[in-house]
Amino acid sequence: MQQRRQLDEKQINRELLNGNLETPKWYYPVMGVLGVGVLIGFATILYMFNRGLGVTGLARPVYWGLFITTFVFWVGISHAGIMISAILRLTQAEWRRPVTRAAELLTVFSLLTALFFPLVHAGRPWRIAYWLIPYDWARGIWPNVRSPLFWDPIAIGTYLTGSTLFLFVALIPDLAILRDRTTGIKKTIYSMLALGWRGNPRQWQLQVVAGVLLSALMLPIFVSVHSIVSWDFAVTPAVEGWHSTIFAPYFVIGAVHSGVSAVVTMMCLMRWLWKWNNYIRPEHFDALARLLIIVATAWLAFTFLELIFSLYGRDAPEIALRELQMFTWPWNLIFITFLLTGYIIPVGCWLFKRCRNNIAVMFWTSILVNVGMWLERFLIIVPGLSRKQVFVYTWEGYWPSPVEWIILVWSFAWVSFLMLLFAKFFPLVPLFEAKESQVFTTEMKVGRATVPMVIRE
Amino acid sequence: MIEVPVINNTEKFNSATNSLVSSTKEPLGGKLKLIFGIFGILSVIGIISLILKITTVGFDVKSGWGYYAAIVSLLLGVFGTAPMVAIAPTIAKADWHRPVSRIATMFTLAGISTSILAIPLIFALPPLVVGGIRRRSIWFDANIYTPHVFFGIAVIGLFLVGLGLLWVTSIPDMAIMRDHSSGWKQRLGKSLSRGFVGTERQWISLRARIGMMGTFYFMFLIFVHIIYSVCFSLELVAGWKDAIYPMYHAATGIQSGVATVIIGLFLFRKYWKLEDHIRIDQFWALSKLMFATTIFWFYFFICAFMIFWYGKSAINEMTIAILVNGPYMPVFIGTLLLSFIVPWWIIIWNPVRYSPWMLSVVAAIVLIGSVLDRIRLYVISWQVYSDEMIHKRYIPLDEIPENMIAPSIFDIGIFVGFISLGIFAILLATRFIPVVSIWERHQSILLTRHIKFHRTEVYAVGKPD
Amino acid sequence: MVAEKQSKFKWGMAIDIDKCTGCQACVLACQAENNIPINTEDNFKDARGIEWIRVERYWEGEFPDVKAKFIPILCMHCDNAPCEPVCPVYASYHTAEGLNVQVYNRCVGTRYCANGCPYLVRFFNYWEPEWPESLQNQLNPDVTVRSRGIMEKCTMCIQRIRRGTRKAKRDNNEVMDGDISPACVQACPTEAMVFGNQKDPNSKINKMKNDKRSYTLLDHLKTNSNVWYLAKVDEDMDSHSKEGGH
Repeated sequence: MQQRRQLDEKQINRELLNGNLETPKWYYPVMGVLGVGVLIGFATILYMFNRGLGVTGLARPVYWGLFITTFVFWVGISHAGIMISAILRLTQAEWRRPVTRAAELLTVFSLLTALFFPLVHAGRPWRIAYWLIPYDWARGIWPNVRSPLFWDPIAIGTYLTGSTLFLFVALIPDLAILRDRTTGIKKTIYSMLALGWRGNPRQWQLQVVAGVLLSALMLPIFVSVHSIVSWDFAVTPAVEGWHSTIFAPYFVIGAVHSGVSAVVTMMCLMRWLWKWNNYIRPEHFDALARLLIIVATAWLAFTFLELIFSLYGRDAPEIALRELQMFTWPWNLIFITFLLTGYIIPVGCWLFKRCRNNIAVMFWTSILVNVGMWLERFLIIVPGLSRKQVFVYTWEGYWPSPVEWIILVWSFAWVSFLMLLFAKFFPLVPLFEAKESQVFTTEMKVGRATVPMVIRE
Repeated sequence: MIEVPVINNTEKFNSATNSLVSSTKEPLGGKLKLIFGIFGILSVIGIISLILKITTVGFDVKSGWGYYAAIVSLLLGVFGTAPMVAIAPTIAKADWHRPVSRIATMFTLAGISTSILAIPLIFALPPLVVGGIRRRSIWFDANIYTPHVFFGIAVIGLFLVGLGLLWVTSIPDMAIMRDHSSGWKQRLGKSLSRGFVGTERQWISLRARIGMMGTFYFMFLIFVHIIYSVCFSLELVAGWKDAIYPMYHAATGIQSGVATVIIGLFLFRKYWKLEDHIRIDQFWALSKLMFATTIFWFYFFICAFMIFWYGKSAINEMTIAILVNGPYMPVFIGTLLLSFIVPWWIIIWNPVRYSPWMLSVVAAIVLIGSVLDRIRLYVISWQVYSDEMIHKRYIPLDEIPENMIAPSIFDIGIFVGFISLGIFAILLATRFIPVVSIWERHQSILLTRHIKFHRTEVYAVGKPD
Repeated sequence: MVAEKQSKFKWGMAIDIDKCTGCQACVLACQAENNIPINTEDNFKDARGIEWIRVERYWEGEFPDVKAKFIPILCMHCDNAPCEPVCPVYASYHTAEGLNVQVYNRCVGTRYCANGCPYLVRFFNYWEPEWPESLQNQLNPDVTVRSRGIMEKCTMCIQRIRRGTRKAKRDNNEVMDGDISPACVQACPTEAMVFGNQKDPNSKINKMKNDKRSYTLLDHLKTNSNVWYLAKVDEDMDSHSKEGGH
């Protein structure tokens, strides 16, 4: 199962920098397509700002729909970064090495995208853009500290700051390598960013300490960000199906599930696009899939618990909601799809070693997971609002309008665009991690067997 | 790649085997008989208290069973969850847990206490149909004695699976006892090891069985925690709807399990003279677990509290009055301090985590916090239960009792007695089962190495798949 | 709160369901008084119709013994409002006089308050409201015309309350019970709706809210609503029928 190969430094440098020192052939066409998608998306958003939220499908009583679903979805995906870089770093798991930077990058860009959605979904976005910054902009009124919508930007902003710092600190050694291999304006920029890195022992020690400190500090954020986002929903007693104590850990574990699957998707793409077969190996997918099985099963347990406890009180409004959510068209189809794509099909595949080591299977199952997780958020938010309390003609349906779908697709195009843009200028696999893994892993003979060995930090 | 020299481990193997086999003999000097005597007498006191409680209090006065239910919950957390400290790192393929796993697994023997105590509780729990109406329960339309029967099966099943786990993980040690001791130990080792001689096939099959038993135990444990927390406290309070409660119960159970293992590890290391085998690494790793589970207490508590505090509906107000600022507020404050604030503040300092005895003190504080936590949750549930109130949508604030109930003398007797019974069972087992598992110790010797790396020496661990 | 204790007023409303005929005069009066956008059939199909007060109709029984029950539902001005703590910009807050007000120029349209309201009495302007030329003279100058992107709801005709209290202060009089009434109360032909000051011991609202038929909607949520309903007296049933929660 261990597939490590002996690589020397020059080979590592050359292979991992092949996207930065020259541009691959597929790069510009792909960026062109994504760029068009991004522009269409921005144009649609501006159209919506101009005409008003009437262009969406929102109505009474479903005041939150696709935008908030996508917001929660992107915050969820952002949890991959911490899981992989901080937790796996603190537990010294060797197999994290190729993916730390890509995961952190995904975090940063998905958080940026997530922050778009509360802006976009508000009735007066030009006001909400700055009225939530803690300062009395108008008439001496500060934002309402009691509102979960105020906690959201604080939590996400903290996470964003921490992740960006983390990303940058880990990027410095690679920036120095690029500085030393480029000329002209690129060299100037890389030099500025590399902050004078020389690679001497003192600097390496500082870098490691910074990484460990940031990892430890980010762990509480990891749990609290999605808990706070979940409290947007959980604190209102009026909406059946939302006012449940389990929302916080349920959302956090769903986020880990979704985020780590997104990292798997990204790893497959990285391997294919830049031909990094030496660095992203089937053993990484195997380890990730096993982690995902545990996470997904825990997530399923939480889903099950949430359902049981909502029905246990035998409250008529809650039962009415669950009837809609699970048994009424079109929600019954969405519910079954969500269960199948979020858990049954992926975990069913991942239980088999052949599937875990097969890159194509991992790619498609990880995409399925994220489809399922988006549907999960949709299923939590919209049916709950459709069937609030038992008043006459306040039970309504909701279907997103074309404007909302375009903006959903735009968010994916935007994140991909940003990531590819980053990949043009900076290596996606940390060079120093690849080199470290060469040094930190070795082999020992135990009897007649040869066992891989890892040096403990 | 670094060259790792091949060395001969036979010397180390033999010395480890001998020292651990001899640890099953008199480790405490003549004091062992005294200790056995004390624990034995306390166990008998416990059993007598139990019988007296059943005969004097009876099963109809529900408020008298609150402390009893809290004790069972505590034992489920302390003794039932301790083996997870062995199982989880095994699944995660960690290496620090090897000296710890036998001690952790041996706590399942104390499950005998939980099993015995669970049975009267089954009779004390009100049936699903009360006053002709079915009360709210996660068992929905099941048979009216459903939670009772399933709970009994689950607790006894947990104990049996735990025994199975203990047996399966100690088969190689049984074989070593067969080969290295004499008398009754040799005979017992021979029959329990079922012909284990260490062939490759036997090892592979053993690993598979350990994996299965471990997973089974984990699933049973979660099942027990869910049933117990929900059916024996949540459902007794009209209107208390708390989806995170079973997870909170399981997570705080893990917290008390880790604390128990730390204390057990400290005591065994000291009195069985196992300093060579149980090192600072183990305490360091366990301290991180302790830290994480302490924070989890707070996290799960805040998840629940945030919803109840913010929601302010009648049900939410009732729940906060019951759990936080009602009659049991002093107990709640005690829990907050001892389960979270004090341990967290002490355990963040590195010197504490490097020192076994300081870590044990923190673990003891956490255990006291757990006791208070269970009292807070269970005593009020059984106190507010009444056949008339249970069908209401929620308990109005003025119907919540004003004062705490004190534990009866029988409850105290049961608490002391049955914990002693559990410890008695464990101590009895150490006469035969080595306290640190010899085969895992051999594994560490084989796989861990200090090797020279440039100008320094590093610690390397082999990771076979 | 200190301000509430010091204020002379705590406004409340009571609606006698027994007297309500479901004529919807209150709905029309409210729309005229408060510059509510025109609700077309399309608006209702899209479920975006704005009705600060709506009349709900419940059918009971089988033909030919069918009964209809009407209940006008408006903002309850809850003392423990679930819509208030959730607004990130304090656009929704509780005045010292017991009203839950919506500050239009502060609202950014996150619609969180609407999700929090269990009575579904909060409305969002999805489009810029338009009135044909001829109707623009009908707009009430005392009431803001809301643009798109803003939440709105019943204010108990706060413009009328202000006018009444200011007039009393100017004339050095006390506000008498019945002096101030919102548009819906004024328009109701059967005088089923009563509005008044709960701090005035002799006011009609106090008598009605302490009536044995009185109840508030969705009690279990403990919103501490300031709108009471008096249950319909149904000779065919031995107990009063109640709507909303149970």
